[in-house]
This record gives sequence, structure tokens and C-alpha cells, in this order.
Amino acid sequence: MKGMVFDLEEFAVYDGPGIRCAVFLKGCPLRCEWCHNPEGLSPLPQRVVTQSLCAHCGQCRAVCPTPQGCTACGACVPGCPQGCIRIAGQLTEHEEVAARIRRVAPLLAMNGGGVTFTGGEALMQSDFVLAVRRALPDVHACIETCGYAPKEDFLRVCREMDLVILDIKLVDTALHKRYTGADNALILANLEALKASGIPFRVRIPLIPTVNDTQENLEATAKLLTDAPQLEKVELLPYHRAAGGKYASLGMAYRPSFPENIPPRADVEIFAKYGIKAGIL
Amino acid sequence: MSNLDQERSYLQSGAHRARRRELSPQRWQELSARIQTPSLTLPRRAALRLRLFLEEETIVRRPGERIPCWRTLISFPDLYAPGEKEGLQAGHYIHEQGRVCNISSDWEGALRDGLLPRRDRLCALLAQKEGDADYLTSAIACIDAVLAYADRYEWQGLSHAVRHGARTYEEALQAFRMLHFCLWASNVYHNTVGRFDQFMFPYYQADMEAGRLTPEDAQALTEEFFLSFNRDSDLYSGMQQGDNGQSLMLGGCDAQGNCAVNALTGICLTASLRNRCIDPKINLRVTRDTPLELFERCTALTRQGLGFPQYANDDVVIPALIRWGYAPEDARNYTVAACWEFIVPGTAMDIPNIGAVSLAKAVRDAIAAHLKDSPDYDTLFARVKAELTARADTLEASVKPLWMEPAPYQSVLMCDYSHDISQGAKYNNYGIHGTGFADAVDQLCAVKKYVFEQKTLCPDALLAALAQNFEGAAPLLHLLREDAPKLGRDTECLPIADALLDAFAGSWEGRKNERSGIFRPGTGSAMYYLWHAKDLGALSDGHRAGEVLCANLSPSLLVRDAGPLSVIQAMARPGLPRVMNGGPLTLELHDTVFQNQEGMTKVAQLVRSFIQLGGHQLQLNAVDRDTLLDAQAHPEAHRNLIVRVWGWSGHFVQLDKAYQDQIIARTSYTI
Repeated sequence: MKGMVFDLEEFAVYDGPGIRCAVFLKGCPLRCEWCHNPEGLSPLPQRVVTQSLCAHCGQCRAVCPTPQGCTACGACVPGCPQGCIRIAGQLTEHEEVAARIRRVAPLLAMNGGGVTFTGGEALMQSDFVLAVRRALPDVHACIETCGYAPKEDFLRVCREMDLVILDIKLVDTALHKRYTGADNALILANLEALKASGIPFRVRIPLIPTVNDTQENLEATAKLLTDAPQLEKVELLPYHRAAGGKYASLGMAYRPSFPENIPPRADVEIFAKYGIKAGIL
Repeated sequence: MSNLDQERSYLQSGAHRARRRELSPQRWQELSARIQTPSLTLPRRAALRLRLFLEEETIVRRPGERIPCWRTLISFPDLYAPGEKEGLQAGHYIHEQGRVCNISSDWEGALRDGLLPRRDRLCALLAQKEGDADYLTSAIACIDAVLAYADRYEWQGLSHAVRHGARTYEEALQAFRMLHFCLWASNVYHNTVGRFDQFMFPYYQADMEAGRLTPEDAQALTEEFFLSFNRDSDLYSGMQQGDNGQSLMLGGCDAQGNCAVNALTGICLTASLRNRCIDPKINLRVTRDTPLELFERCTALTRQGLGFPQYANDDVVIPALIRWGYAPEDARNYTVAACWEFIVPGTAMDIPNIGAVSLAKAVRDAIAAHLKDSPDYDTLFARVKAELTARADTLEASVKPLWMEPAPYQSVLMCDYSHDISQGAKYNNYGIHGTGFADAVDQLCAVKKYVFEQKTLCPDALLAALAQNFEGAAPLLHLLREDAPKLGRDTECLPIADALLDAFAGSWEGRKNERSGIFRPGTGSAMYYLWHAKDLGALSDGHRAGEVLCANLSPSLLVRDAGPLSVIQAMARPGLPRVMNGGPLTLELHDTVFQNQEGMTKVAQLVRSFIQLGGHQLQLNAVDRDTLLDAQAHPEAHRNLIVRVWGWSGHFVQLDKAYQDQIIARTSYTI
């Protein structure tokens, strides 16, 4: 079967144990203000223009079949003399993705790694994720997810993974809704389901200055995790100012409402207090 | 601030340069006249020049310093009267500056025995009229000049060490500095440091056992010693600032092949980490069994962005050198020349960079001339082989007769010092770089796929597009740049890569140079990645005229999405042993992967994997592309930004723009 893939990274070092390949799947149900992978948001292909290379020669407009609006058809890509246009998001056969990973699988295994499905939100293409995963039965597999998916889908995929990395961004429902555009009830319910499932998991918190790096939020998160023996650790991901770097090439604007300049508070002690292993990525 | 911190900031400030001077025009004239005395032979002139240079030098002392020698003379007269050199060199092949370079001395013997036993033996040979009297007399005079200069320091330990051999680690460091400084003064260049942790270990060990030295003091001494390489290095410029050959090798095995990593190995890594200076450039010999912990320590060094250590794999280098005729104990003692060429200290007068073959151009020319009349890919590839052979014929014929300036002082520091090293040594092999390997492979892959297999591209259309530099052929350019198979990304390139490596190796196999040495092809590019790109024109892989080639053994710069795992798998070719002159896989990793211990461990694992796959040599850069771009725009804000260039590290802002651009382009396949 086919999935909408926007990248395959070969040396992912912060997406699970060992040296890993990360499969980036397009489409996400959340709209986190700090998202650093804007090409992962829409489930559809998108045109990406590297602005620094563009000579504004107009060749792309000359060949465009739909000047009234871009459909990411890709007609302009081969015609660009600067080679600065690409289409993010390609319908890819699951076997093609699996083949690329299989090629380096010995290296992944030698170094305690494997494959990680991420995005976007990988669960938006759960059948595809499972198809790739089943084509690689001997490869350590991991999913990185925001947890915003129907519980059945969530568990169905998680059960076939060796490790789940679940984002818990904000515990407060109102704040979650404000900063990610969605309610977190589903996510917190899935966390409970994951805890009950016995599947090994990690929790990841992107630390956004003033948004969720508060004592209150971190403490609330820690409390949710005290009764999960198969929780490997909590990973804190401090916000990086480069997050907005890709927006312009997609014709999008990056407008965070939080103060970007303040380094987020990365307090692992709060978790230690609750007997939870935590580290900063 | 500690004494060492003060020295570090003193050097960084450049304040020491205020002590430098140029000779007055009158003094220059006087000295020139003495050195260039027509009746003196070149070896005698070289000895006299060294003596006068050292006599003219000012002894500089810094409070509390334990390592001698600061160069104060910016320049000094040459051996030749105007026009004389041209006459001597006429009709000869001149390698670079025409001087001995890119070799490593017998530091082990020189530090152990001092110079007096060598002097005695030279005197005995002279008395017995064995050998060239001119050389012997000059070599003795060089020794006397160096001893006299050392004595001006009035450090008893130093004077003893250079005469009779070092007794302590401190004396050994002082003696090394003195002897090495005098090498630069004697006008040879790219004289490498060699296997420092091996030849220094006996002194360190004896001091520790006798309780004369604490680990802290050994660390501080080593750091001060390492700093001393940066006192004068700006005066020793090669192709670009930073290309000065002060390369140092760590680790590896002993003469019997046993692991020889020792306490000094770690002390040196820490010293380099703390100093944050370009020199000495650190290399590390590893094997498939090297513990991950050592790779991790080295990764910490990589993280600080100096572009080293560079790794060499004993598992593949040593057997390859033995196959080329090096004695096993010599092969096991290998080190690197200025960049990455594998050489043997003390016994070799190899010229590991005597020439270069543009593999990219050879393939281009074969395609241009024979694509139309080749019925199949194999026929075309046979033409490529013929091109390589023709280039080897031309290059072989062009590097003789070799002329090299006598170097009596450098000769004194070799294992066999009975004759001038410029005349040759136990090993006299020539190294040949192969430039643009990936670009060559990619051209062949594209032609094979689209012209011969799919038959979707007709030879005329391709050749016309190449002639027009792809003007008006944007879709074809896109196909070749973006969709065509690329080495480092697509496995279908690997058989072609193997065949090309084999053909390159075969084109040199069995040839002998005029010194009875062999030719050693390699995967290095040095500055040829720019030079060979100049008149290259457009290539069948979508390379446009004027674009630079890949450095060393790396994917083409056109590849944007080659992951590091595919790259290391692609570059660990089984055919490497036949092209073992040296030339590393150059990987650029984004500096974010180094941000914590987890990332560092994984980088160390990546390096180890390349070694375990049978890769021969690897250099890693931690690069932040934005920083490089900013440094290009605002050099004043990035004076201390250091990057790996081709086999050495240099200050980014001091590089010519073409080199800066190539490094920025290389970051395109960072993760």
C-alpha cells in the first residue's frame, strides 16, 4: 500500500535508542505553535522553494498549468534552472520504504537501533505504518506520536512496536487547546491505555518557554507517570529558535505567540522527585 | 588565570608576532652573499644557511615556559643567487617547491640518542672517505648549528637531550620542539610529527615510575608543547593558511601488531581538546576492535569543530602497505603525511602527492569521444580504462627526472643518515590522487541507465546538452541531478564504483618510478577538487561547468539526500586496498547531533561502523551551515571558526572564497 512520506532520515540520533532511520509521514491533527516540521502538517503534497537559491527567473510560472493556485503537481520542478523547487510529500509504496531501511538494517542492528515512524503524525497513516513495520519483522521499530488518534488505532499500532515515544505537551486542557488547537482528552486517555498495555514507552515533552515549562505543568505531567513501570524515561526537548526556519520555503508564516528568546526551563529534578528518570535531548 | 590559559590567550591575541622582524636590506644582502657563495655546493650552502639563520634568531623567553623556540625571523635568504635555481632545475621535474616535504623523521631514534652519536658516525664516514664528503660535512655542520642554537637557551636538560638523548618527558618535548623548529628553519616543509604517543611513551612511563611526573603535570606539559606548534604556524603556509603539515598520529599497533594505545594517547586527546588550536592536527589509528570509549573521546574533539581527529583503519591500511612492498614492521609503523597520505617515519622518501588524475575528466572525455560509437556500456567502460591508462602514461613520463634541493639537516633526522634524503631512502614511492571519484561514478551510472539500459536518452542529445552546459535543457539537467543514481545514496552505483576503483588501481599497477619505487594511487583530492573542476565543463551527472568537485572520497556535491549510513556503506569499498595512498571519506554532520552524550555516542558508533565495514580513513566535520554562511558574510565575527578543508584544518575566514563555498556546499548532505 501507499503512504504519504515527506522524508527518510538515516542517522536520526534523538528518536529512540541507537542509530535509527526515521520515516516522516505527512499530515498532523494538531497545530502546535512551535512545530518545526511545518511540511508535516498538511496531509497533501506541498511545493517547497529554497528562497536563498531562487533567482526569480520566472521559468516556473511559465510552465505552471494552474497559475491561479498551486496544486503541488510538480510541473515546475524539473524546469527550474536553479534546482530550488521540490515537492514535499510523495505517495510511496510501503515496500519501497522498507527496502531503503533494509539496505542499512545491518548497521542499525550493529548499533542498537532501528526504524522510527514519525511525522507529522504517523498514526494518521496507521495502516501504512503497520505495512512497513510488518515488512521489516527483524528491525527494532518505534513510533513517535502525539497520541491524538482513536484509541483502537493507537493501540493497534503501538502493539506492533518495540517502543512508543508519546508526546505529552500540556496537561491543562484549556492551554492544550490554545497552543495545539486540539483537546487533550484523547491523548491523556491513550496515555492511560498505553500504561495499561505493558508496551515499553518514553514520554517526550517539547519545552516551550512560558507555555509548558512551568513547575505546574511539569509536576502535573510527572504525576501522570508515577504508576507506569514500563516507562523508560522522560525526554525533555528544549525549544530551539531554528524551529521557524522552514516556514518561508512553504509560503507559510511562523508566528509564535510565546517569547522565543527565553531559554526554556529544563528541570529534570521535578521528575526525579517522583522517581522518574528524565533527561534533556 | 593559569599559566597555560595565559599562554593560550597570548597566542590567540597574536601579541607574540610583535617580536618578529624582517632583516634589514643591508643584512639581507650580506647574508645572501655569504650563503650564495658560488664556490659552495648546495649542501654546504644549506648548512651555512641554517647556521646563519639560527645565529640571527633572537632567543625569546616567556616567564615560566618549559618549551623553547619562538620564530622571530619572518624570512631569510634562499640558497640561490638570482637565476641560479632556474638553471639547476631546467630540464627537471620539480615537485611543489622543489624541497623535501611530506615526510616524517626518525623521532624515536633522534630523541633517544641525541645528535652526537649521529655526528660521530658522520665524522667516521668522512674519515673513511665513505659516502659524499659534501653531504657528510654539511650534515655535521647542521648538527653543530642546532647544538649551538640549543645552548643559547642555557637549559641544561635541553642541551643534554639534543646531544645525548632525552632523559625525561620534559626533555624529550623540549628536544622535539628544538629539532622540529630547526627543520622549519632549514627550509624543508610539511615535516610531520609522526606517532607522538609511541615515541614519547618511554619517557613518560619512566618519569611516572620514578615518581618524577604527576599525571596533571604530564597533561600540562603536553598542552604547553601542543601550543608551541601554533607559535609560528602562520609563517608556514602551504596551499592555504593552515596547510602546514603539522600532523600527529596517535594509537595504532607496535612492530609486532599488538595494540599500542597508551596513557599518552588520552593525554594528547585531552590536550587538543583544551587548547582548541589547529595544530597539531590529530590523527588516530583504529581497528575493528577499538573500544567505543576511545571513539567517544575523539567525538568530543570532533564536536568542537576543529575537523579532527582523522581516523585511519589499521585493519586495511597495514595489509595494503605490505602488499605494496613495505616491510611488515614498517607498515605497522605508518603515520600520515601532511594530510592523509600513509607514509612510514624515518625510512621513507615517498612523494605521496606527486600528481593527480582527474577521474571525473577521464570519464567525461571517454563519454565525449566514444559514447556515440559504443554499442554497449562495457565498450564505453573499456574506453574509460584506456583513458586512465593514457593519463597514467603521461603523468608517469612527466615526473622525471626529479630534482630536489639537498636537505642535509632533515637527512640527519632519518634512520639512515649516511646520505642526503633528497636522493631517496628505503622507500621511494610516489602517490597519485584520484579526483572526483563520485562524480566519475555518477556519470557512468547515468549513462548506463538512461543511454544503454532504458534507452530514454540518446547520445546526441546528451552530448549536445553537455556542450551547451545544459542551457535550455532544464528537464534533462533535473533528471541527471535529481533522479539519476548517485554514489552514496543508490546501491546500483556500487558495482560501477568498484569497477572504476579497480581500473584506476590497474592503470598504475606494475609501473616503476625512476627511483625504483612504485606508484600508489589513492582516493585523495587535495586542492585538485578545485583545480580539476576549473576546465572540466558539464558532466553527464548533471554537474555544470564551474561547479566544484567532491573532496576526497565523498559523494558528489549534487547529492542532497545521501544519508550517513548509505554513505559509509557506499564508501567502504572492497577495492580500497589497491588505492591506499590515502584520501578519507569526508562526512559533514550537523552540530546538533553532538549536543548531548546520547548524540555523541551515536556519532562514535557511526565512525566505528565505517571502520568495521572496512573503510580506510574518515574525517568528520561538525558544521552548522548557518554559521558558515554568517562567517562568509561577517568574517570579523568568526575569526576563530575552524573547519576541515581537504586534509587539514584552517580558519574558515582565512580561506579563499572558492574553498569556503565548497565547504558550504558540502554541508548540503549533512543530516
